Amino acid sequence: MKKLLKENSTILALIGLMIILSFLSPVFFTPRNLTNLARQVTVIGIMSVGMTMVILLGGIDLSVGSIVGLAAVTVTLLMQAGLSITLAIILTILLVGVGIGLWNGFWIAKYDIPPFIITLGMMTIARGLALTLTQGVSIPVTAPAFSFIGGGYINKVTSLIILGIALIVGIYSILKAVKRKKANNIEVSKINTFSKFIFLFLGIFLAFFVFIGYRGIPIPVIILVVFVALGVFILRKTKLGRRLYAIGGNENVAWLSGINIFKTKMFVFSFITTLAAIGGIILASRLNGASPNLGKMFELDTIASVVIGGTSLSGGFGTVTGSIIGAFIIGVINNGMSLMGINTFYQLIVKGLIIIFAVWVDIMNKKQRS
Amino acid sequence: MGEEVILEMKDIVKDFPGVRALDHVNFRVKKGTVLALCGENGAGKSTLVKVLSGVWPYPTYEGKIILDGEEEQFSNTREAEDAGIGIIHQELNLIPELTVAENIYLDRQPTNKFGTIAWEKMYADAKEVLQRLNMEIDPQTPLKTLTVGKQQMVEIAKALSHQTRIMVFDEPTSALTNTEVKELFRVIRELRASGVSIIYISHKMDEIKEIADEVTVLRDGASIGDVAAIADITLDQIISRMVGRKLEDMFPDRIEEMSRKKTLEVKNITVDDPKVSGKYLVKDVSFSAYTGEILGIAGLMGAGRTELVNAIFGVYGKKSIGELILNGEKITINSPKEAISRGIALVTEDRKELGLLLEQDLAFNISLPLLDDISKKGIVDQIEEHKIAEKYVEELNVKTPSLEVYINKLSGGNQQKVVIGKWLATKPKVLILDEPTRGIDVGAKVEVYRLMNKLVAQGVTVIMISSELPEILGMSDRILVMNEGLLAAELSKEEATGELIMEYATRHIKKGAEIN
Repeated sequence: MKKLLKENSTILALIGLMIILSFLSPVFFTPRNLTNLARQVTVIGIMSVGMTMVILLGGIDLSVGSIVGLAAVTVTLLMQAGLSITLAIILTILLVGVGIGLWNGFWIAKYDIPPFIITLGMMTIARGLALTLTQGVSIPVTAPAFSFIGGGYINKVTSLIILGIALIVGIYSILKAVKRKKANNIEVSKINTFSKFIFLFLGIFLAFFVFIGYRGIPIPVIILVVFVALGVFILRKTKLGRRLYAIGGNENVAWLSGINIFKTKMFVFSFITTLAAIGGIILASRLNGASPNLGKMFELDTIASVVIGGTSLSGGFGTVTGSIIGAFIIGVINNGMSLMGINTFYQLIVKGLIIIFAVWVDIMNKKQRS
Repeated sequence: MGEEVILEMKDIVKDFPGVRALDHVNFRVKKGTVLALCGENGAGKSTLVKVLSGVWPYPTYEGKIILDGEEEQFSNTREAEDAGIGIIHQELNLIPELTVAENIYLDRQPTNKFGTIAWEKMYADAKEVLQRLNMEIDPQTPLKTLTVGKQQMVEIAKALSHQTRIMVFDEPTSALTNTEVKELFRVIRELRASGVSIIYISHKMDEIKEIADEVTVLRDGASIGDVAAIADITLDQIISRMVGRKLEDMFPDRIEEMSRKKTLEVKNITVDDPKVSGKYLVKDVSFSAYTGEILGIAGLMGAGRTELVNAIFGVYGKKSIGELILNGEKITINSPKEAISRGIALVTEDRKELGLLLEQDLAFNISLPLLDDISKKGIVDQIEEHKIAEKYVEELNVKTPSLEVYINKLSGGNQQKVVIGKWLATKPKVLILDEPTRGIDVGAKVEVYRLMNKLVAQGVTVIMISSELPEILGMSDRILVMNEGLLAAELSKEEATGELIMEYATRHIKKGAEIN
């Protein structure tokens, strides 16, 4: 039981936080507020999927905030130049996302230059590019359909069907895992299975209350869920995930075990910048325009989400689900303090303290593990 | 030699989670004598030293440390130093970039009245301490320009500058040449004559016979027998106290004679020293390995043995040169991945740094080199993984509560079995083991030896690097001796003796000249 509490400490913290805020502000626990909150968290949330992988490798990526800005600017400029929405999006993802990521990854993987330095450089380069491209002014979106990506909703009926399917798939996969383990004589922890069901029901019920109670599931939330699922799948089920944990745990051991470190690093550093570019596109769509200063400090919020979610900054230990919960914790705190009329200046201070606290917890856990 | 007891350790007990590292250890040291503390790797010698030097502070252990008649309870290493206990560690605790004098007075530099460092005084003091050891070393030279032997003298000088009364030498000769060992013994004798008591930790019998006045033996964390004067005990008695059984029982016989077939041929392997251009770590080494035999590689630390097998395993990529012929086919290996796919496996020397992911579970570790084999379309078959892990846990008799246990919760011997299991799971044709029994207890050692014999019987070509002569002599069918990066000798089981191997391992070779 103690172990269970510890393993789920971040999600319990999130639930606790939400309960407290529901008492402090009558507006907080309403479908409308929580829908907005979910929409606000999406960009940081999507990036934290990639950042989890980067930090699992023992790396860091400081350039993602600037890439959000550069991608937002690029996609709007491309549309202004007359490209179709689809083409503009694909080009932005390839040029800004994959392109910059391969550049970052190459220096890091090939020459062992610390990711901190390479991505710090890219942080100013990308911001500089965004400012140069726009000459420092904001660019409006000219294609009305584009706003659907960041601002659209799936209608309530479809939303309901999606939630229903999610519930069934969730129950099925938990049961299937148990059955498979039992068939192969692997021990199954009952309390673990039980807690999985609890979180599944709780999550679906909350989503039902929030989204059906307002305007349906927001499109960016769907995008977030897709990438979170992809991230969880990669880390838990694939060779790539194993390689990531191995390299982050001890690069020498990984190399001696026949793991291709170059390829893995290239993938991870391009994956995160791709996610950042997607984040920039969503943001431009939601705001119906792009300013070259979009995404400032996003790298810090993203890193903070990952750290709060329990991923070790020294690499090798952590999960995507933890990071998403971390992103929501930051979102809930921002949202709650705004609702209570607390100045944003104080919000910064509180956020900083939480990050320090989270790292302290990580270090303590690490000491206990070894 | 006095009769006065200066240090007594009484009923020392030290527990780690799940293991009792020290189990009521008792011994005493007399003033101005050398006490040899013997024991196999993993017997608890280092733990005992850590208790004595305050690394494990009071009361993380039980028992009493009595120094000059008074009980001491050190809460950190500084207190132990101040009480006059100096430790010369196996790995030197010095900073290569600083000068000799700065190393000796690290963090205790003499100061002027303004609190700045009094450099002149520091150099003069350092010179004086070094002279007490009869060492002509300029205190102003950077430490890194000295040989390992000289660096060790600096470490001794550092301990002396603390008014050390008891000096502990932890396996001091493992990285030294013969001449340096002689020099070290001269210094130890001088220290003894000046009234310093010495605890000399080693498992090298010839050294113990030469330098020690008294002997005490540790086995599996417990004192075996009382402290004995060196004149009253034979080497065989010491050894049987150390291993708890006769040597011939340790190295199990191989049941069947196997046919020998050449599997791996290595030609002119050369590895350059990445730090110093023009120097090399391995130079023009050629040898062959056969099925049905264990090929031992002996030599001192730093002789290039590990680098040689690393080069074969592709660790240096294109930076190492040489030719490999596996089962008659010429192959190139530029990464461990390629080596693994060719059926070569390397059980690395340092399991904590190079062999295992300590924060991952057992199954994760075992499956790491197998990911390609147990994955379909990039997805790992976790059931298959579990089965493989289970198989090797059973086969190697790994004592673990479950397959999901973090590796760092297992004992050293069990960790080593996991590393070996991880490589056996790749079904290697050539298995290279680098110091396969370092730091594991005797029981686990014998299990590793049995396993090696079993693999040989199954037709695996086994190559073993070892620094322990009994192990090399007991297990190998053929022995390569390396010295300063060169292959110094190839000896058959019949002609090999400990003396002969040490002779080849320590003799100064004229570059490239004296190869058999």
